Amino acid sequence: MPPTIERPQRWDVAFDSEMTDAAVERLLAIAPFSAMDATKFSKRTPLRDILRNDTSIRRYRKGEIIVRQGDYGTSAFLILTGATRVVLKPDLPLSLLGRQAPGKKGIFRTLAQLWSSKRPPESFRRAQLQHGDGLGARRNENEEVHVFLQDLPRVMDQHRTEQMIAGDFFGEIAALSRMPRTSTIFADSDEVELIEIRWQGLRDLMRHDPALQQHINRIYRERAMASFLRATPMFRHLTKEQLAQVAEQVEFATYGDYDWSGEYKRLAKAGTATPEKEPVIVQQGDYPNGVVLVRAGFARVSQKFGTGERTLNYIGAGHVFGFDEIAHNWREPAASVSFQFTLRAIGYTHVIIVPTPVMEKFVLPSLPPKELPPLIAPRDAEPGAPASPSSAEQARDLVGAETLEFLTENRFFNGTASMVIDLDRCTRCDDCVRACASTHDNNPRFLRHGPSMGRLMIANSCMHCADPVCMIGCPTGAIHRESFAGQVVINPVTCIGCKACANNCPYDAIRMVDVRDENGDFMVGEDLKPIAKATKCDLCVENHGGPACQRACPHGALERMNLNNLTALADWMKR
Amino acid sequence: MTRFRRQLFVGWFLFLLASVAAIALHIRYHLALPKYAYLTGWAFFGVMLVLTLYNARKKLPFLPLGNSESWLQIHIYGGFFTVVLFLIHLNFRLPTGWFEGTLAWLYLFVTGSGVVGLMLTRVLPRRLSTRGGEVIYERIPALRHTLRCEAETLAFGSDAIANSPALAEFYYRELAMFFAGPRHFWPHLLESRRPLNALLSEMDDLRRYLNESERATLEKLRQLVRQKDGLDYHRALQSALKLWLFVHLPLTYSLMMFTLLHVVIVFAFAGGAR
Repeated sequence: MPPTIERPQRWDVAFDSEMTDAAVERLLAIAPFSAMDATKFSKRTPLRDILRNDTSIRRYRKGEIIVRQGDYGTSAFLILTGATRVVLKPDLPLSLLGRQAPGKKGIFRTLAQLWSSKRPPESFRRAQLQHGDGLGARRNENEEVHVFLQDLPRVMDQHRTEQMIAGDFFGEIAALSRMPRTSTIFADSDEVELIEIRWQGLRDLMRHDPALQQHINRIYRERAMASFLRATPMFRHLTKEQLAQVAEQVEFATYGDYDWSGEYKRLAKAGTATPEKEPVIVQQGDYPNGVVLVRAGFARVSQKFGTGERTLNYIGAGHVFGFDEIAHNWREPAASVSFQFTLRAIGYTHVIIVPTPVMEKFVLPSLPPKELPPLIAPRDAEPGAPASPSSAEQARDLVGAETLEFLTENRFFNGTASMVIDLDRCTRCDDCVRACASTHDNNPRFLRHGPSMGRLMIANSCMHCADPVCMIGCPTGAIHRESFAGQVVINPVTCIGCKACANNCPYDAIRMVDVRDENGDFMVGEDLKPIAKATKCDLCVENHGGPACQRACPHGALERMNLNNLTALADWMKR
Repeated sequence: MTRFRRQLFVGWFLFLLASVAAIALHIRYHLALPKYAYLTGWAFFGVMLVLTLYNARKKLPFLPLGNSESWLQIHIYGGFFTVVLFLIHLNFRLPTGWFEGTLAWLYLFVTGSGVVGLMLTRVLPRRLSTRGGEVIYERIPALRHTLRCEAETLAFGSDAIANSPALAEFYYRELAMFFAGPRHFWPHLLESRRPLNALLSEMDDLRRYLNESERATLEKLRQLVRQKDGLDYHRALQSALKLWLFVHLPLTYSLMMFTLLHVVIVFAFAGGAR
């Protein structure tokens, strides 16, 4: 009998266990919740329970940072009392966001590694870990760390800001689309009270309250949709007016779970992570009612095979699904076909759906014939008939079905710089490990071991994910992207050792280490507990020449690779 | 052409080109140039120095000194080229005297160990990945200990010892040593399954003396034996992949020291060199 686990239920774990009935009553009495019609909410997700389980009341003092530009967040905020301020232009300097300034080591720092690498592992001079002047940190009554701007008047003087007051929403786009926060917002009065709504709650509130849905739709369309559509090749022949009309009519939806990493880790441990448990976005055989554009996250393209489903490809941000079928039906209405494949959210997927009438009215007529996909072979039009080779199947053929299943099951497509090892070439010499240790304070930042399939091994190293769940919940902004869509790095100065990133990482690629001083003694805090820091591969972002592990491999067996690019993987395997 | 084939092609092409050029120059100038032995000696020493620097490159991974893969290619084909330079420096004759002889033998051992190492690094990884059960070398003793504990629990557990003395006796006689430490280094290296098959065959023979529940225990022991054999296989091959360097490197340093001494002696007795 396979191992069983208790079926997880929504609200098994409330967003804030401290949320009381009195707090819920208070929220129900104020706008916009007071204006919501509780009878319109479903019995499974009543308004009161959403507020109780999916929200939390947060309090900030003047100058404390609420959200940071570039951070990933899963929640939106509504100001209850007090005021907040959003930084418009110019952006706050990296040091005020708790981050390291990007850049390579200079020649002297590079050469200094000749002798500095001899120090005990993960050792710092005490002065190295001191915060700069601009930033401070304090714990609130709930022991949460709040980072605050020390010289607020100077920030206000040097940056254009705008005040937000009670009743204003912020962070909803980042929460719904899992895009990085676009601005930094800090408390502008001494007693700021916010309600933080996690995305599931926000989604349900939108679903049952037309006013909120309208409000968020409008913001989403204004701020995010137009630029996204403009960047999608399919729409490049549309005029500005046509694009605006398309933007007005598209729909957006989120599937799966933002907290997929924890859930995935649990299911993987129980051995019950199967495709059939993933939420369906499009079902094979259904009428093609729209083209699906993946905006964030990943989705699995699969096809019925025997009694199960066979993975053909996985697609990420910027990919299109269902275009072939809709283009076929537009040209051959008499021989229309259904969706040829199933699309499922892996973990979490945010999609934009362009309805078929919009495609037929604006998009398809604008495309030159050579940009239209080939017609789907007639036999495929028959229900249940096997599909002919398509782009999805070609992806499978590139690397083989087994490899594709392996990459998908382990969620490796998320990695933009995964450490891929060819076991047929790897002599297990550990030159890569030594090179990493020499480059990083005598502490290798990865484990030359990990899941393998045939001659392919994905080592236990930070993959610099396209969807970096490790960045969600860092209280100080210490873990961040080096640049937009760049490497994910940790600033040891602002890392407080809370383990949030290490617990979030689905691949266990972040390790907590107790740091030492220059004499090799463990550093301890005032409570005499060791000072811990999160460490992980930083892709040698400060070093010249690229990742030391890859450069150190004498046999070309190790490559840092974007596993969302199957062509590159196939080429590398055949090298 | 794939990347590795291109590497092979370029490497051999440059090696052959350099070798032909070196031999042609030798034929043309070996009688014509004064102090010709100095020239070939310095060239030989220079190439050896470049080859030795590869180890220094490995120790400085944080400096932008090019990737190790390119260095290894230079090391391999440069190593082959030193054979040509060695023969030219000796003027295609056998070395004479104990010092020259020692130097020549050291060179041959360094080159030979390098060639053996190259062959091992090209053959053994593929065998390891084909066998599967990838394991980190340093973890092997711990994993072996776990297997040993599991096996001993099966053989000597409180139920087992009372109910199945035959199994306990067999374990003590045949398996205790097998689980105690690494076994069958050479058979594994030579891809021989003979020791494993012999052990499994003995376990098969034991079946006739066991009842149903003991047979189930024996089956579990068989699984552990197979796992331990896989561990020994990885240990043997991974050891070979590491150990050849422990021959190659000390010999290289010895060779370099003898070479420096050779240079000093040559200059000390410069009157004798031509």
